[in-house]
Amino acid sequence: MLGILRWTFWISIVAIIASFFHYTLPQTDIVRISDTYESRENPTKYTLFWGPADIDASGAELPRDVFFIQTRRVDGDVMVYRNEDTGWGWPPYFKFDTSNLQAEAGDLKSTADAPRYVAVKHYGWRNEFMSIFPNAISVRLVAGPDGPKGIPWLNIIIIVLFLAVVYAIWVRWRRFRIARIDPTVEAIEDDLAGATGAVSGWLGSLRKK
Amino acid sequence: MAALARLMVVGFIVLSAIYICLSLYSRAVRKGKLRAEWEEGAQDQPLEAFLEEGLEDYDKSLRRKLILSVYVIPVILVSVIIYLTNFA
Repeated sequence: MLGILRWTFWISIVAIIASFFHYTLPQTDIVRISDTYESRENPTKYTLFWGPADIDASGAELPRDVFFIQTRRVDGDVMVYRNEDTGWGWPPYFKFDTSNLQAEAGDLKSTADAPRYVAVKHYGWRNEFMSIFPNAISVRLVAGPDGPKGIPWLNIIIIVLFLAVVYAIWVRWRRFRIARIDPTVEAIEDDLAGATGAVSGWLGSLRKK
Repeated sequence: MAALARLMVVGFIVLSAIYICLSLYSRAVRKGKLRAEWEEGAQDQPLEAFLEEGLEDYDKSLRRKLILSVYVIPVILVSVIIYLTNFA
């Protein structure tokens, strides 16, 4: 029972961390841009998955215009990206060139008959039920549907560094536990066992009488 | 600009915490090394004086000033990311 609880706990932790990285780290899709548009958005739910809102003098969130890039992926599925500044906030892409990116995306539009393939670097998730969109970071014309996408060095470095930090903390914690906690717990257990023995011995001596 | 101010304030607090921890840790390591050195050496002066002298030298050293890069590296990193995201 305790084993199941422990496994559930650790699997949940790993899933949360993995989805955090999956959302935040950049990924590249090879797509064909079919159109771009701009839409008035005032997300009240799931604001975590949108850019920072403009705030009026009273602190209320104002509706704002958000750029979108409509694409068709190589496998035939459609994908819609939002194109929003991250500014100085999270995630730390420090993206300020939203309008430039929209101009580039508009310039790279193509039809299904004469496709031009574009590598879109983005972070985030598309979810139809929550109406959330991945945020495009950059667009780059590529030779064909096979890319090249490039090797995700940044993701490799960040994940390796993260695992190294986790491993370093884990090793230190283990060493600390072996050196300090385990002997103490064992000493307490020994004491308890000794005490139990003493009590039963005393009871036994009573019974004998 | 409010977001920039928030980033700077939070960043400064977090980096200061790292800076203080790193300074204390580095000084403690140096102290341990000095103590080992004293025990190996001639022991021609008392331990307290030897440690004090050694730590004073450490306070003036380049190694201690290098800990200030805790503040410098993130600023460089952010500048590089801004360049790569917006201008590259």
